[in-house]
Amino acid sequence: MALTFALSSELQKHGQAMKEWSAAEVRPYAREADRTHRPPANWREILDLCPVAITRHDRRDVLPVPSFSDGKWIRELHVTEALCYGDIWVNDVVGQGIGHLTVKLMGTVEQIERWYRPIVEHGGVAAFGLTEPHFGSDTSMVATTATRDGDTWVINGTKMYCSGGSNADYVVIFANVDRSLGAAGIKAFVVPKGTPGFIVAKENEEKLGIRAWQTSELLFQDCAIPLDHQLGWRGDDGMDAVGSKEQPSTRSGRGGALGALAQNKPNISAMGLGITQAAIDVTADVLKGQRLGFTPRRWSQIENEIERMNVALERIRRVNFGAQWLLDRGLPNKSEASVSKAFGPPTFEKVIRRCMMLLGPDGTSHELLLEKWYRDSKILDIFEGSAQVQRIIIGRTLMGADAGRG
Amino acid sequence: MFDLDVSDETAAVVALCHSLAADLLSPAAKAGEQTASLPDAVRLALFETGLTVPVEEAFGGGGRPSCLTQFAAVEALAYGDPGLTLAVVWSGLGASLIGAVGTEAQKEKLLPRFATDPNARSVVALYEGHGRSPSESATTITSDGSGSWVVRGTKLAVSDAATADPVIVVGVDPVDAILRAAMVKPDVAGVKVGVPERHIALDAAQLSTVSFDTTVTADALLGGPGADPNALLLAVSQARLLIAAAGLGTAQRAVDYASKYASERVAFGKPISAFQGVSFMLADASIRIAAAKVDALALASQIDSGGVDDLERQTTNCVNFCGVVATQATRDGIQVLGGHGFITDHPVELWYRSAAALASIDFDPLCSAFEPAL
Repeated sequence: MALTFALSSELQKHGQAMKEWSAAEVRPYAREADRTHRPPANWREILDLCPVAITRHDRRDVLPVPSFSDGKWIRELHVTEALCYGDIWVNDVVGQGIGHLTVKLMGTVEQIERWYRPIVEHGGVAAFGLTEPHFGSDTSMVATTATRDGDTWVINGTKMYCSGGSNADYVVIFANVDRSLGAAGIKAFVVPKGTPGFIVAKENEEKLGIRAWQTSELLFQDCAIPLDHQLGWRGDDGMDAVGSKEQPSTRSGRGGALGALAQNKPNISAMGLGITQAAIDVTADVLKGQRLGFTPRRWSQIENEIERMNVALERIRRVNFGAQWLLDRGLPNKSEASVSKAFGPPTFEKVIRRCMMLLGPDGTSHELLLEKWYRDSKILDIFEGSAQVQRIIIGRTLMGADAGRG
Repeated sequence: MFDLDVSDETAAVVALCHSLAADLLSPAAKAGEQTASLPDAVRLALFETGLTVPVEEAFGGGGRPSCLTQFAAVEALAYGDPGLTLAVVWSGLGASLIGAVGTEAQKEKLLPRFATDPNARSVVALYEGHGRSPSESATTITSDGSGSWVVRGTKLAVSDAATADPVIVVGVDPVDAILRAAMVKPDVAGVKVGVPERHIALDAAQLSTVSFDTTVTADALLGGPGADPNALLLAVSQARLLIAAAGLGTAQRAVDYASKYASERVAFGKPISAFQGVSFMLADASIRIAAAKVDALALASQIDSGGVDDLERQTTNCVNFCGVVATQATRDGIQVLGGHGFITDHPVELWYRSAAALASIDFDPLCSAFEPAL
């Protein structure tokens, strides 16, 4: 029996149309988005030009994104790469964050109905706040607190690198309800936009790359939210609002946070595939016009390099599809998703760097987007779990809990 | 005999440059980049050292440093900031070349100004991209048969050519295939100085493309029509090595900064330096820097002793290896800082950008091959 690595022709066509639109309509705004640290003002009109259905959280009157026989997660990989092929700025205005995914993983039936469904069905942005200035990888170090005060939770603390944190409908944040419990006291809370005490300390951090993405520093100062905004909340008597007693969620706050991140890991690699494929294609195109400037030996080396860079990307694509194929079948993919997250990003940096170098001194100039993509690419090996953290996860799958302890 | 003992003089120069790097260059790095210019205070202070615009004592300067000493000086200065360092160093390369290759008459006429006037600049137009070494330049410098010399070609990554006097163009004489250099003023007919373009880094050096289609008199030919091509090759190789020096200084700074961070940042109950995934990454970077450095120092010493047969190829290999080492070390520097490495509150992002710019200037695809990270 032969394995099939090809996508359905419907999905391929869908992706191709999106890729062409992204190159034609999104890329021309890449430099401006990088310079102004925000998406172009007319981003809605740019999205309107997309010939195929695209997720819109700014409009509710658009066609839903079609389903494909390939599966939801496979579709997301393919679409994410196609989308980012023009430039990565567009991902932020199309993206809905991952807060709602956390709700789906950790919420009660009622909470899923209230906060997950509207986002996937009608659009909107759900931000996610886990990282704090003093920790990133070690999520047991959450210092933000949630203190019970009568019918409310009172949140205090600082979160950083929150994608969409300044414009989301709500942000899912992680806070400790009882620091004497250590990591076991970490729970997730839905904090709606506009809640008093929810302060956007920095709308957009000053970054090396993905500058148009709004990543915010958020401050919670005596920010009070109702008790049922804790994900998995079943009332003091363990009953949910409609009076049915469910099995208490087996997921800890951290488990839920990491679960939401895990599903998205291969998508991070797909974003990188978009800009890195763009870098190779732009480089090959520019070099073609300079062919006579190279000695035959150097030209043959360049052709060989372009080919090997393309081969490397194709290998990364297959690894990503393999990981998400499991998810589409409802199978666990924890290790495979970590493999995907660890495998692609460092190679994206190397490909884009090599492309700049092949182009010589002009390769790093602002006349081209290579230098921007080189800056953008660096985050992919860091956010939502660095390559080092992925290795701990993969190592523990292989060798048990002692792997990577020191 | 194997001897790596540097002279007291070189050691003193390195110590001086390290303190200038810490007190002057590092604090000025961001301003230099934002304004795309060299702050006067930096320019003047470095001019005072005599290292960046080297002029022999006979012409009023403090002497021309050996390749070894200049390499160590630039490496130490770039530890503070590579962009500012090269902006100054490149503005003095013309004076170096005149001192090394010029006729006595040229030296007497031109050098005293560089020894005394901190605003005097002379840059070298050397790079052409396409992986070309100087002897493969498509730029030609050749006699027109009636006493004048024709300079034709396009040079990339020339630092602030508009204010340089002269711009020294390096090219090849197609008649006998020897390396030549010609002194050209940037504002004469046939010289087009492009508007400096913003790059990923090094903006203080104001890099632009300069094209030449002009004629100069024989006395503008560096060293005259009978100049020693080997002396020029040695001087040009020394100039090329300075990019390697800046790369290694930048790489070392990134590794030191990330090492300090790793010793202080706690995760999973211990400093992250306790994790081999972190400490081995920086150790590997350190190993590569050490290897690249002995490579470069060996070559610098050979240049000081008159060169070797395949000097140009060795220089290309050395510069390219240092480029690989520096780009890798600076990305590892960010990686260790994680999210903090990606925001501009920490300078590792500047070194990541700077190393990429440095590595692209004198790149030859034949020196290394693309390999995926895993």
